[in-house]
Amino acid sequence: MLRNMTIGQFYNVDSVLHRIDPRVKLNIAFFYIVTLFLDKNPVLFVVAFFALAVQIWLSKVPVRFIFRGMKTISAFILLTGALNLVTVKGANVVWEWGIIRVTEAGVSAAVYTSLRLMMMMIASSMMTYTTSATSLTDGMEKMFGWMRGIGVPVHELAMIMSIAIRFVPVLVEELNRIMKAQMARGVDFREGNLFVRMKKLLPIVVPLFASAVKRSQELALAMDARGYHGGDGRTKMKPLKYRRRDIVAYLVLFLYVMVTVVVAIVL
Amino acid sequence: MGLINIKNLTFEYFRRDEEGNLEEMIEALKGVSLDVNQGEFIAIVGRNGSGKSTLAKHINALLLPSEGEIIVDGLDTAEEEVRLSVRKTAGMIFQNPDNQIVANLVEEDVAFGPENMGVPTPDIWNRVDESLTTVEMQEYGAHSPNLLSGGQKQRVAIAGVLAMEPKCIIFDEATSMLDPQGREQILFAARQLQKEKKITIIFITHHMDEVVWADRVFVMDKGRIVTHGTPRQIFKQPWVLSRCGLQLPVLYQYIDFLVNNRIVSNDELENVYGEEELIALLCHKYRREHERNENIENRKRLSETQTEAHSATEGILLNHVSYVYGKGFAQESLGLKNVSLQIGKGEFVAVIGETGSGKSTLMQHLNGLLLPQEGEIYFEGKDITDKDFSLKMLRQRVGLVFQNPDNQLFAESVERDVCFGPENMNISRVEAQKRAYEAIGMVGLPDTIYDMSPFQLSGGQKRRVAIAGVLAMKPDYLVLDEPTSGLDPVSARELLELLKRLQVEAGMTVVMVSHKLEEVAEFADRVVVMKQGRKLLDGAVKDVLSQVGALEQAGLLVPVGIKMLYALHREGVDVDVQMIRQEDILEQLLKLRRL
Repeated sequence: MLRNMTIGQFYNVDSVLHRIDPRVKLNIAFFYIVTLFLDKNPVLFVVAFFALAVQIWLSKVPVRFIFRGMKTISAFILLTGALNLVTVKGANVVWEWGIIRVTEAGVSAAVYTSLRLMMMMIASSMMTYTTSATSLTDGMEKMFGWMRGIGVPVHELAMIMSIAIRFVPVLVEELNRIMKAQMARGVDFREGNLFVRMKKLLPIVVPLFASAVKRSQELALAMDARGYHGGDGRTKMKPLKYRRRDIVAYLVLFLYVMVTVVVAIVL
Repeated sequence: MGLINIKNLTFEYFRRDEEGNLEEMIEALKGVSLDVNQGEFIAIVGRNGSGKSTLAKHINALLLPSEGEIIVDGLDTAEEEVRLSVRKTAGMIFQNPDNQIVANLVEEDVAFGPENMGVPTPDIWNRVDESLTTVEMQEYGAHSPNLLSGGQKQRVAIAGVLAMEPKCIIFDEATSMLDPQGREQILFAARQLQKEKKITIIFITHHMDEVVWADRVFVMDKGRIVTHGTPRQIFKQPWVLSRCGLQLPVLYQYIDFLVNNRIVSNDELENVYGEEELIALLCHKYRREHERNENIENRKRLSETQTEAHSATEGILLNHVSYVYGKGFAQESLGLKNVSLQIGKGEFVAVIGETGSGKSTLMQHLNGLLLPQEGEIYFEGKDITDKDFSLKMLRQRVGLVFQNPDNQLFAESVERDVCFGPENMNISRVEAQKRAYEAIGMVGLPDTIYDMSPFQLSGGQKRRVAIAGVLAMKPDYLVLDEPTSGLDPVSARELLELLKRLQVEAGMTVVMVSHKLEEVAEFADRVVVMKQGRKLLDGAVKDVLSQVGALEQAGLLVPVGIKMLYALHREGVDVDVQMIRQEDILEQLLKLRRL
C-alpha cells in the first residue's frame, strides 16, 4: 500500500539534479508552478512540458517510477477535470444530456486544469525525488532563516520536521505490530459500519500515541545529553554553500521564467 | 581527586494526582556517595526501580540533586553555565536504540553532538570518521539508521558520544533491549574504549554476567548503595544479591558450588574469568586416562525423526511452509523456508533462534495472522486457508501474546483491557467480566489491580495483564513471543513458572519464543531451533541440548553447565550428560568430589 505511494519519496541515485543545492530546487519548483498559472496558452504549456521533460531527463529518475506515483492521484485529477467539464458554462454547447451540458469553454477548462494539476504534482515530486529529507529541511531552514527576525522559530521547526521524517518508518512499524496484537485479540478491521470501524481505531490509536509520547520524551532526554541547546552557536557537518552549478541552475531558471512571461504577454 | 565525585546525593520527586494535589513524595536516591577515577570501569547493578538510572542521569546533569553534590571533572553539575561542559565530559548511551538517534543518516547522527558544541565543519568530519571507525561502523556512514540491527544502532549511539570526545561514557541499561549478539557487541565496545582510549566507563545493568569485567561493582537497592567491591568480592555475597532482587551469574553459581564442595579451590580460580577457563581447569584437574572415542553428539538426526507429517486431527500441523516478506518487491526478505512442524495438544514447546531466524514469523502463522505462501497449515485437521475456515475462531483458540505489552494495552483500566478480547467475540459484558476476573487471577495478579490504569503498572505486571487479555478469550493454545525479554531475573522466572502452571494445571498448550536456551531448558518439553528461516533441530529438550555444535552454529549460547558436563564426559569422567536442570547438573558435578 505504502510502497505504491512514490510521491514525496526520495529516489536515491546520483545525478546533476540530486547534487544541486536544495534551496535552488525549492525555488525551481515554486517558480515553475507559478509559470503554469500565467496564462491558458498552448505554447506556454508546450514550453512548460519541455522544461519538465528536461528535469526528468537530468534527474535520472525512471519515467515508470514517476507514473506509478501519478497513478495514486489520477482519480483526484480525473474528478477535478470532470467537475470542470460540467460546471464551466460557455456559449458553444458541445454535448447535452438532461441537465448536463458541456460547452467548449468547459472542455478547455477541464483540459487545462488537469494538465496544470498533473504538471504541478510532477514538478513538486521532482523536487522530493532528487532531495533527501534532511537536505530539504536544511534548505528550508536556511532559506527561511530571515524569518527568525520576525519571531518565527525557523531552526526549531526544521528540527521538528527532520525528526518527524526520521520517525515515520519507526512508527509505521509500530503501527503494524499494534494492529497485529489487537487482531490476535479478535478485532476484525473489515467488519461493521463506519461508526463501528471508527470505534475499532481506539485500541490502535491509544497505544500508538502512548508510544509516540514515550519516544519523544526519551529522545528529548537523549538530545539534551548530547548538548543540544537550540540553533544558537551550532555548526553544521554539511553546511549549504552555493556552487557554480547552483548559479548556473538559477540562471536557467531565470531564463525559463522570462521566456514564459514573454510567451504569456505576446501570444 | 577522581573524575567523578558524588557526595551524599539525595533525589526526591513528588507525584501529584490529576488536580495537582500532592500524592506522595518519592525518594529515588538516598545519600549516595561514590567516587570514580579516570580510566576505571564501574558497574552499577540493581533491579528495576532501584535508582540506578536516576543516579546515571545525575552524572550527565539531566537531573539535579535535591541534596548533596556531584562534581564531574571539577565541575559542579548544579551550576547552569557548566552544564554543557559536563555533558561533553560525561556522555550517555540510553536503553532504547531507536529513541536516541536524531538524524536520518548515520554520519549525520554522529555529527549531532559536535554540531551542538560548535565544532568547525572539517573537524566534525574527522571526528565522525574516527568515531565510526572505533565502533567498526565506518561502512554505514551514509546508511539510514532504520535498517540497522539493535546492536548496530547502539554502536552508532556510542560513536555519537565519542565524537564529543568525552572522558567518561555512561551506559544506562544500554544492553537490555538487545539480543545476545548485540549485547556482546556493546560489552566488547565498552571494554575496548576503556582499554585503548582510557575512557572511564560506567555500566548500568541488571544482568550480573555483564559486570564480570568491571573494576568495581556497586549494588543498588531502594535508592541506596547496598554494597560495593570487585566483581569477585560481590559474587561471594550471593545472599546480598538475592535480597536486592539480583542473581549471581550462572557461571558464578557453579563456581560458588564448586568451591563450597571443595571441588576446586580459590587459589586455582585465580585466573578464571570466563567459562572456557573454568571448563579447562576442571578438565585438566579431573582428566581420566582413557579418552572416550564414541561421539555422543551425533546420535540421531533429530530434525527428521520428530515430525514427519502424519495427518493429525489434534494440534497444529505445518507442512512445508514458506513465507517471504515483501514478495514481488525489490526488498524481499526471507521469513520461513520449508518448515514442517507439529504442535501436539498439551505440549510446552520452545522455539529458539537468534534475531532474524524466523521464529516470530513462524509464530504468526500459528494463529493465521500470516498465511503460508507455500505449504499448508492444519489446525486440528482443517486447512486454515480453506474458504470456510474461520480465522476468527482460530485466533480465539490460539491466543497470541506479542513481545511488547505496550503494543496492546489501551483501555482506561486493567479490567476493561482484559475484557476487550472476550467482547470482540460477542460475549455479553457480564460474562466477559467474569472471564476477565478469572484470567487476572490465573496470571497471579491481585483483584486490587482491576481499576488501575494499565499505564501505571510495572513491566512485569504489564506483561501479565497482556497475557490475561489473551487468556480471557479462553484459548486452548497459548503462543508467546519472547515473554521474558526486558524483565529482571526474578520476574522472568516467575513468569516462566506461571506458564508451566498453565500447561500442567489448565492443560494449555504453550508455545514460547525465546533466544535463551538456558531459560527454556527447565520448562519446555520440546525445543525447536530455527536458523535463517529454516528448522534446524526439533526434539525433546535433552536431545536438542546435546547438539552443542549445531546450537552454537545457530548463534545460540549453550548453557555453561551443559558444556561442562560434555567437556568432562569427553575427558573420560563418568557424568550423565542427559541432565539439563541446573540442580541435576550440580548433582553430577558432585561426583568429581569422589575422584
